[in-house]
Amino acid sequence: MKWLDSFRSRIVLGTFLWTLGLIPILHLLFLLIHHQMRFISVAGIRILLVFSFLCIAAGIWQFRAAILPFGRLRRQLSALRDGSNVRIEGNYPSEVQPLVNDLNSLLGHREQLVRRALAKAGDLAHGLKTPLAVLAQEAERAEAEGEHETASTINLQVDRMRRQVDYHLTQARATTPSNVSGARCAVLLSVEGLTRTLEKIHAARGLTIEVDVSAEHFIRGQREDLEEMLGNLLDNACKWAKFKVKIQSAEVNDAVLVTVDDDGPGLPPTMRDQMLQRGVRADESAPGSGLGLAIVRDLAELYGGSVTLDASPVGGLRATLRLPS
Amino acid sequence: MRVLVVEDEVSLAKQLTAALRRAGYAVDHAADGEGADLLGHDENYDAVVLDLGLPKVDGFSLLRRWREAGRTMPVLVLTARGSWHEKVRGIDGGADDYMTKPFRMEELLARLRALIRRSTGKINPELRCGSLVLDPRSGRVLLEGTEVNLTSHEFRVLSYLMHHSQRIVSQSELTEHIYSQGFDRDSNTVEVFIARLRRKIGPTFIETVRNLGYRMKDPA
Repeated sequence: MKWLDSFRSRIVLGTFLWTLGLIPILHLLFLLIHHQMRFISVAGIRILLVFSFLCIAAGIWQFRAAILPFGRLRRQLSALRDGSNVRIEGNYPSEVQPLVNDLNSLLGHREQLVRRALAKAGDLAHGLKTPLAVLAQEAERAEAEGEHETASTINLQVDRMRRQVDYHLTQARATTPSNVSGARCAVLLSVEGLTRTLEKIHAARGLTIEVDVSAEHFIRGQREDLEEMLGNLLDNACKWAKFKVKIQSAEVNDAVLVTVDDDGPGLPPTMRDQMLQRGVRADESAPGSGLGLAIVRDLAELYGGSVTLDASPVGGLRATLRLPS
Repeated sequence: MRVLVVEDEVSLAKQLTAALRRAGYAVDHAADGEGADLLGHDENYDAVVLDLGLPKVDGFSLLRRWREAGRTMPVLVLTARGSWHEKVRGIDGGADDYMTKPFRMEELLARLRALIRRSTGKINPELRCGSLVLDPRSGRVLLEGTEVNLTSHEFRVLSYLMHHSQRIVSQSELTEHIYSQGFDRDSNTVEVFIARLRRKIGPTFIETVRNLGYRMKDPA
C-alpha cells in the first residue's frame, strides 16, 4: 500500500481511527449526561456547537503546523544544492531537529574535506610549477648548446604540463560552488584592481584602459572567479590592442553584461569559436588552450552565464561576459 | 647594475643567477625571506626578482616591509601562483611586474631591463651618449658603430653611468651597484675601471666632477 508511505496519510488515518474509537465512549458519556440533566437550553446547544467547531479548527491548524516544517526543509535542501545556502537554517520540531543537526555537521565535515582536497590540489599544482620552470631553463640551455631536438621536446612537454596544471586547477576550484554561498561582489572593485595591475604589467606598451563600469553592478559569486574571468579577458585585450582597451558594464534582466573592447587586429568569425573551444577530456593534448578564453568560458558556464566574441565597434575584438546578478 | 634574486629552489636560483650574470648584472642571491629582508634593507639594488613562496618570511610580507621602509627598487615577482586575484594582490602589495612559472628567461630579462629603464626615467631601450651606444638587450657597446670590448665590471660601470646620465654618480654609489655581495671590493677600485673605460672609449665621455663623482657627458 503505497499511500501508507506518506507521513500525511498516516497522520490522517491515525486521527480518523482515534476519532472512530472515541465515538462509542462519547456516546456512552452522552447517555450518562442525558439522564442526569434532562432539560438543556437552546443557548447551551449553541455554546456546545461553537466549542466543538473551535476544537476541530484548532486540531486542523495543529496538524498543518506539524506538516509545514517538511516543506521548509525541502526548500532549504534545494537551496543547498544550487549553492545559495551552505547550512540548513531554522528551528524544526523536536523529532526532526536532531536529524537537521546531524545533516549540518555532515555538511560541515564534507566541506572541510573538499577544502582540504582543494588546498592539496592547489599545492600539488603550484609545487609542480617550480620544477617545470627549472626544466624549461634546461631546455633553453640545451637550445643554446645546439641540441635543438632535445630542447623542443622538453619545451613542448613543459608547455603541455603547464596547460594541464592551469586547466585542472581552475576546474577544481570552479566546480565547487559550495563556497559560493550567495556571496555578491562588486564588478567595479575587481575591474579597478585588474586595471591597476594590467597597466603595470603592460606599462611598456603605453596603453589606455578606459573603465565605464557602474558601482551599482554586482554578480553572485566568488571574487577570485570574477577576477579570473575579467583578468583573462582584459589581458587578452591588452595583448592585442594598439592604443586602447575599453571595459563597460550594463544590467539586463537579472544579469550583468561586461564588454571588453580592444582596437587590435580582431579575429575572423571562424576563429572566434575556436578560441572558446575547450578540451573536454583530461587526456586531450591541450586542454584550456586558446589564450585562457576556455577558462573564462568554463567559469562563466558554471555560474550560469556565458561569454561571446564579436567584432568591436572600435576595430578589434569585443568579448562579452554575461553573469547572473 | 646590481640585482637581488630571492628564490628558495636551488636549481632555479642557480639558473637565474647564471643567466643574469651572463646578461651583465652583479647578482646576489637569498634563499629565504629573512636573508632577503636584510639584504633588501642594507644594500642598494637596481632590481629584485622575488619568489612569493619562501621559507621563514613570505614574499608578500617582504615586499610590504621594504615598501613601508621606503625602499623603492623595482621588484619583479616570479611565482607559481598565477591567478589574477593573486596578481592584483602582488601589484597592489608593491610589485612592479608579475611573472608566473614556468617562464622564458629571455622574457624575464626583457622585463627586468624595462623595469630598470623605467625606474631610471629612460624611454628608449638603447642608451645613447653622442656616438656611444650601449644596448642592455645584447650587452654590447658601440662607439661610432664599432663594438668596444669591455669586461663585465667595466660594462656595469658604464651601464650604471648611462642609466643615470642626467646626474652625478658618486664613487661609493658606483661601488654599491657594480659588485655583488662578498666580493673583495678593495682590489678593484672604481678609479681603475674608469681609467680603463676612458682608454677604451676615449677620455671625453666620462667627466670627473671634483669631490662628487662622475657624470656622462656628450663631447659633441
